[in-house]
Amino acid sequence: MTFSRFHFFQGAIFVMLGILGLGLFGTQVVRGHYYRELSQRNHIRLIPLEAPRGRVLDQKGRLLATNRASYNVIAIPEDVTPEVYPRLAKLLNMDQKEIRRRMSGGREYPFAPAVIRKDISQELAFLIEERQPELPGVSIRTEGVRSYPYGETAAHVIGYIGALTEKEYDQLDRDRFGMNSMIGRAGIEKSFDDQLRGWRGGEQIEVNARAELVRVLSERKPEPGRDVRLTVDLEFQKRIMEMIQGVHASVAVMDLQTQGLLAMASSPSYDPNIFVSPSSSEQRLAVLKNEGFPMLDRSVSAAYPPGSVFKLVTAIAALERGKITPQTRFVCNGSFRLGPKSKMAHCWYREGHGSINLYEALERSCNVYFFNVAKRLSPEDIAYYAHELGLGEPLKVEVARIAPGLIPDEAWKQQRFHQPWYQGETLNMAIGQGYVLVTPLEILRLTAIIANNGRVVQPHLVIQDPEDPLDGPRVAIREENLDVIKKAMLQVVESNYGTGQLARVDFEKLAGKTGTAQAPPQKSHSWMTGFFPYKNPKLAFVVFVEHGGSGGVTSARLVKKMLEIWKELNVTPVV
Amino acid sequence: MLRRLFRGIHLPLVFSVLALAMIGLLFIYSASYRDAGQYEVKQLFWIAVGLAVLVGVPWIGYRPFLSISYLFYIVTIILLAFVDFLGSKHLGAQRWLDLGPLSIQPSEFAKLGTMLAVVNFLGSHHPWEGQTRTVATALFLLAVPFMLIVKQPDLGTALLFIPMSIVMLYLWGVRKRFLFTVFGSLALAVPLAWEFLKGYQKKRLLVFLNPNLDPLGSGYTALQAKIAVGSGGLWGKGYLAGTQTQLHFVPEHHTDFIFCVIGEEWGFLGSLLVLCLYGALFHAIFLIMQHTTDVKAKLLCGGVLALLFSHVMINIGMTFGLMPIAGLPLPLVSYGGSSFIMTCMALGLVLSVYRERSIF
Repeated sequence: MTFSRFHFFQGAIFVMLGILGLGLFGTQVVRGHYYRELSQRNHIRLIPLEAPRGRVLDQKGRLLATNRASYNVIAIPEDVTPEVYPRLAKLLNMDQKEIRRRMSGGREYPFAPAVIRKDISQELAFLIEERQPELPGVSIRTEGVRSYPYGETAAHVIGYIGALTEKEYDQLDRDRFGMNSMIGRAGIEKSFDDQLRGWRGGEQIEVNARAELVRVLSERKPEPGRDVRLTVDLEFQKRIMEMIQGVHASVAVMDLQTQGLLAMASSPSYDPNIFVSPSSSEQRLAVLKNEGFPMLDRSVSAAYPPGSVFKLVTAIAALERGKITPQTRFVCNGSFRLGPKSKMAHCWYREGHGSINLYEALERSCNVYFFNVAKRLSPEDIAYYAHELGLGEPLKVEVARIAPGLIPDEAWKQQRFHQPWYQGETLNMAIGQGYVLVTPLEILRLTAIIANNGRVVQPHLVIQDPEDPLDGPRVAIREENLDVIKKAMLQVVESNYGTGQLARVDFEKLAGKTGTAQAPPQKSHSWMTGFFPYKNPKLAFVVFVEHGGSGGVTSARLVKKMLEIWKELNVTPVV
Repeated sequence: MLRRLFRGIHLPLVFSVLALAMIGLLFIYSASYRDAGQYEVKQLFWIAVGLAVLVGVPWIGYRPFLSISYLFYIVTIILLAFVDFLGSKHLGAQRWLDLGPLSIQPSEFAKLGTMLAVVNFLGSHHPWEGQTRTVATALFLLAVPFMLIVKQPDLGTALLFIPMSIVMLYLWGVRKRFLFTVFGSLALAVPLAWEFLKGYQKKRLLVFLNPNLDPLGSGYTALQAKIAVGSGGLWGKGYLAGTQTQLHFVPEHHTDFIFCVIGEEWGFLGSLLVLCLYGALFHAIFLIMQHTTDVKAKLLCGGVLALLFSHVMINIGMTFGLMPIAGLPLPLVSYGGSSFIMTCMALGLVLSVYRERSIF
């Protein structure tokens, strides 16, 4: 170490300490007066600005969720003088205590504005603005408030938003969430919250002793959230909702080209607007207590026994495992007995279907045929192909609260009931009864996979970059077997013995499968799924009516109506 | 016996330490007496422990510390790596290691551990023989803890390594050309490092350059801290009478922003008093440096000085906008056990240099 290095170091340290002292002198003595003034009653206010939430549009750009302007009464409690309370209480028709309670409620930092009342009328807002001199600390802020112009039409798809809880607020990024921020609670609003939500801004303002704005010191503009565009066709969705008004039902229609859902309707529905406006708490309660569970999205959040629709799976399993060929015949005389001591199981058609092959068995939905098939299969065989076709597998559709269905097997039963699997249960499983549970959208996906010749399908709601439909993973099912199933599905509708002939439309050939799932003691659940047209299919669909009775009647009629609506909306008549 | 124990005590240095600790205690109380937590009582305990360390270390002497420095270095590296995987999240960064009721901040130890290892290494090599290799090894020793602390992420502490390294290398006798090349290329690497910074760190640096960028977050803190210090004026608002800090405009005001409370309540004169006490402390260290002939001892004193000085500079500078908002304590004044004891330990090493001074 040299002498000069040491002294240079020593000098540098004391020079920098001197700079520090000079800086403090400048801040505290030279500019001290200015800061002293700012600090008295603290004249700096920080006003957070919420970012406008992105909108939700349908495929044609129609607004499903948007923002309307609302007037909110805010107050900075530190600026409010005691005589303000009675005046404000009178203007807002509120209790003084309530106003005080809201003022002392949780705030993000000192001098942060507290929200006294949201969404007041324009007249009242102007009145308060006019009387501002008498109301120090109180002001009106215009903010966007969520609005769903079509109410119940696509409520389960769009979802709704709600206020943050204190716990959530503590864990979230302050740049995006304020204490009064809203967050998506269901549907697209929830799963796309990050995209719909923008970035908060704010202004630092200097106010005078009477809490009036002197100048804006600095400002950060809020960044609005991005819009989300859905694959849903609003008009189609609306007509379908009208069609299933009054019944507990779900209808979902998918475009096979894009794999986007054109409609996903669940009835009964609710008006998401009631979750936005604080004044509609009674309506909220009514919705939550309603025995029809309008909040429940019957398309994805509830699982039901599939009934005969499941015979498609059993047929595929038997064909793939080589247990039958399409021409394998069994005789149906109306009933079936597994062993000499077993209980008699009946076909829905008590007179019996006679000797039939696989096509006829699917066309007429013969139970006895599938009992015979089930005798040759293990529950694992059926479960394997059910999973292969997406049953009991997670869906990637962009709504929250997806409940997967249930595909039982021996291991599952052992774990759940600590009991072995009985062969009779395989019979039940083969016709979609017993433990099997599916959601309507899972059935839609199954049909779409069949219609797409075995390519894996992921129904979705938000427009995505188009993928090559001929590319992508396939299920482990041979195409020739799927062709058999497709042909049988055509017969279901087009044959005069078919269970789905009520769905027949006169403009194109339809393929489908009905299902009537027993749900004692009430009426059976009614199902129909299918794809359309038979050649070069464009649509896949599922119709489900809770306790709707026979699939071939209730659901088939709805399918016909739905296809007619689709034609009306999409096929321009040739003049 | 007592005379022998205190023979090696450099009184001006100990006096500055005591005075700063007392000022700290006063203002920890002022900053937090309205909150639960009894920070001043806890701090009193830490001061007692710290003073014991301050007196105890010279009694052992600095040489034993240097001889186990590599071991100490390795232990701190392991602790740091441990924090990265097991540390508890505190204010969004993993800096603390929970050991039952005690939580320690290994980055505090890492500063001292690294310094001792580098001092020992540089002191054992002559600057005129194979300088390139020596410097490269020293820089490697510095870089490992540096990267680990950056990863935590504790950018403030990590940046302290830079002045510390410069000072130690400079006093050791590195060629100036070398110093310029290494730290010049470091400066060029800044845009690259930018990519690795966490969002909030980028924001802090940007807001440092222009506080108006973020009026909601750091910009607000920066402005309120400035108002707090500035509003103290020449005389201050009086002890316990600060409004800015008492109303919680300034966050963490008993730890990192303690100087805001001092500046507001005791004004410029109080600030000057604190600065002068630090000046006295640094001066004492310089005197001790001058009176030793051991290269390692000189490097050790230089490193300690650089470290303390950077803390003071950044901590006080950030309250009035000279420096970015970094989560660094004001040594000896801020609330906190790890920081106080480590500072006392570092100063204890300096005192032991004084105790073994050459008399001439």
